[in-house]
Amino acid sequence: MGLVHLADEDLMQLVRRGDAAAFEMVYDRHATAAFSLAYRMTGTRNAAEDVVQEAFLSLWRSGARYDRARGSVRTWVLGIVHNRAIDALRRSMVHDRRRASDEGIEERFEARERTDVEAARRDEARDVREALETLPPEQSKVIELAYFGGFTHSEIASMLDTPIGTVKGRMRLGLEKLRGQLGGLAGAMS
Amino acid sequence: MNGCEHRESVASYVLGALPEDEYERFATHLATCDDCQSTVAELQVAADALPLAAVQLVPPPDLKDRIMAVVRSEAHLQSAAETRGDEPAAAPRRPWWRRPFLAVRPLPAAAAAAVLIALGVVGGVLLSGGESTRTVQGTVEIASAPNARASLQLSNDATKLTVRNMPPPPSGKVYQVWLKRPAQDPTPTTALFRVDSRGSADVEVQRGKLKGVEAVLVTAEPDGGSMKPTSNPVIAVSTA
Repeated sequence: MGLVHLADEDLMQLVRRGDAAAFEMVYDRHATAAFSLAYRMTGTRNAAEDVVQEAFLSLWRSGARYDRARGSVRTWVLGIVHNRAIDALRRSMVHDRRRASDEGIEERFEARERTDVEAARRDEARDVREALETLPPEQSKVIELAYFGGFTHSEIASMLDTPIGTVKGRMRLGLEKLRGQLGGLAGAMS
Repeated sequence: MNGCEHRESVASYVLGALPEDEYERFATHLATCDDCQSTVAELQVAADALPLAAVQLVPPPDLKDRIMAVVRSEAHLQSAAETRGDEPAAAPRRPWWRRPFLAVRPLPAAAAAAVLIALGVVGGVLLSGGESTRTVQGTVEIASAPNARASLQLSNDATKLTVRNMPPPPSGKVYQVWLKRPAQDPTPTTALFRVDSRGSADVEVQRGKLKGVEAVLVTAEPDGGSMKPTSNPVIAVSTA
């Protein structure tokens, strides 16, 4: 049985032992989601590439830290990307410049699904976007600013001129609703 | 229902929106609060789905090339013995030193062909220092160090290895020199070395003339060296 037939969790067992081919398989499976998240957060192709490179090299060097009991490899990978992107945003203070320089990149690089798995992911992505859109705007706004913008709740409170307690409450309510709507998608990230 | 006074920090926590100082405090609290752990688990489901909301974009191919070049070079320097031993998908393989010397490749051929950078020409005699001394250029196979060079000075008095622009060995490891004779496993030498800040080292491999040796090899080994190679060679110099 080749690597292509191994589950992510089994590939990670090989990655932690230094298997570059297993790592490559993990990269191939999750690079699109990772790059997409990084691009959404940083807003430029170069910054997104830096974030993805940092994240995957970190994954390669710290594969032993992956614990399957705490979630899927995909969730873990995207968690690393998210943290790296937040670090990059806070380090470079590029918040205000984001989304300006690479306008149109979506059309040039948008993924075309080649497999059933990719097509299914595209459907799941649409479901998540639609679920976000059904939230009250004040809830989706704080969630997007926090998760994709990398802003802290204090920064968001300041930006929106809203008490921190209100911001926290909107985040919680929004996530609870999102969770309810995505019930069937719980396995999407696994 | 979470009645904990910290419950309103859970959403910020799963979204990565806690300022650094608050994050430390909440993480400490979370370790001992069952209510908050339970709420984190609930809200994390929603937070974990958020990346899917991003428009899906294909990463540029050269990004993968750059990442894999680093990964392969680092894998190359790691212990191959423990890595290969129980790989479920791999057919049993002979250790590299039992394969024909010129077929030595530290990675599966397809992967190696794509990334590994072979420098110099094995066995190419660059300089003759008279009848008794010659310098042979070696092959360095470390993709992350395309400028790395290795050469061997052979004379009746001594054999010396010179390396330039080499990366340091991985943490806890040291470079070790081996002598490969036809149809035999590599023989360890006591020549263990690290490189200086510029990646240079001049190493005496052996006093006296090298006899019956077809190649001088270098691997990264645990501190103190090994009796059998535990990783693939990063330098190979043919003396034939």
